[in-house]
Amino acid sequence: MRRLPWAAFALLLALLLARPVAAQDSERLLVADPYLELHTGPGRGYPVFHVAERHEWVTVEGRRTDWYKVRTQNDKVGWVPRAQLEKTLTEAGSGKTFRDTVVDDYLARKVEFGVGWGQFKAEPMLKLWTHWRFAEGLGAEVTVGQVQGTFSGTDFWHLNLVAEPWADRRLSPYLAVGLGKFKNIPNASLVQAIPTDANLGNGSVGLRWYISDRFVARADWTLYTAFVSDTRSLEYRAWTLGLSFFF
Amino acid sequence: MPRRPLAALLLAATAAAQAQTSPPANEPVVVPQIDRRDVKRPKFPSNDFELGLFTGIYATQNFGSSSVSGVRLGYHITEDVFVEGAYGQSKVSDEAFRQVLPGGVFVNQTEKLTYYNVSFGYNVMPGEVFFGRNVAKASAFYFIGGVGSTKFVDQKKQTINIGFGTRLIFADWFAMQVDVRDHMFSLDLLGKKQNTNNLEVTLGATFYF
Repeated sequence: MRRLPWAAFALLLALLLARPVAAQDSERLLVADPYLELHTGPGRGYPVFHVAERHEWVTVEGRRTDWYKVRTQNDKVGWVPRAQLEKTLTEAGSGKTFRDTVVDDYLARKVEFGVGWGQFKAEPMLKLWTHWRFAEGLGAEVTVGQVQGTFSGTDFWHLNLVAEPWADRRLSPYLAVGLGKFKNIPNASLVQAIPTDANLGNGSVGLRWYISDRFVARADWTLYTAFVSDTRSLEYRAWTLGLSFFF
Repeated sequence: MPRRPLAALLLAATAAAQAQTSPPANEPVVVPQIDRRDVKRPKFPSNDFELGLFTGIYATQNFGSSSVSGVRLGYHITEDVFVEGAYGQSKVSDEAFRQVLPGGVFVNQTEKLTYYNVSFGYNVMPGEVFFGRNVAKASAFYFIGGVGSTKFVDQKKQTINIGFGTRLIFADWFAMQVDVRDHMFSLDLLGKKQNTNNLEVTLGATFYF
């Protein structure tokens, strides 16, 4: 019990020591809007405490989500949303440095992570997935999941190929097929129950709903086939609802 | 009739001559004598990921409370929404049962309880906390909820968690957070399957990277 937090702490220390010095990445920008509002924190709810005026040079020191940490000439440090920095000029004199997410940025996002919850043969099921889109309308997906039934628990993972023929639509159906592993462990209170370890095949149809530039809601229906032995296979039907986001 | 081929030949000849003298259409007539400016779009690394350690109290329904510790990994998707995966463990004792029931409920006096979950959080109250007159640090109150699994006495149980918390951001790379969570799962250890509410209060240190 004690060992785990210490290992994590050591990892943290290593990570922190490996952090690059942020000051080197800073960039000077000229305020072109009438003013630039500096918030105390990276969010619209944090109060504005300072204003940088037009023609003032500011330095960008970091970023958190869509907020940039900005230092003014008189050393005031605050957070500015991307939309406000859009009107600043770089030292080379070019504008439009921080445009908002446009279609190109959106399409450049390839990796998605999600969580789903649903039912696997009337038992609650939970799964996590990482989706990597490697071509237009085609993706690879790794899923790990768990089904916790009254009499047994199942762990599984599978690797899927996902085809999304109408990927440009907001509501976009998809098809997936894949292979993986399936492990069923009966609850300890059951007598003479044996764990099952099997290969797993699955086919799935689903619907993706692109909610915003970062979020996708997903519903799917899957047919799982567990190849229990050479002559016997078990079939399970499952549905899940999930939410995923782009990195 | 014989004129037509001749005319065509003439046309072709003049066209060929024109093609030789005039520059191709895609080449500019005047080449500007300006150096191309080196314009680079600035890219700023973000620290939207967080890694944290937490410790606190986990109250297992019917079994009293015990200390819990764990790790969490989070990612801030937008200024409002974040996602977090957590793993925690605790040692639960059946001492209260042993006082009235010799032998207790567990085989050993203590049983390990571990859980993991993936949760979505929503920052609702961004604000500031003041230390004295001159120092103010940004803070955020959040609601959080998610799904996961709890392993306790050889039973793995699907767990839904909901809760709230507050984080105090001391620096770009460091924050402290207090988290209150209700882990809900069903358990049939005491003869009957029942839904249990297991409350947890933790204090955590979070590092952004």
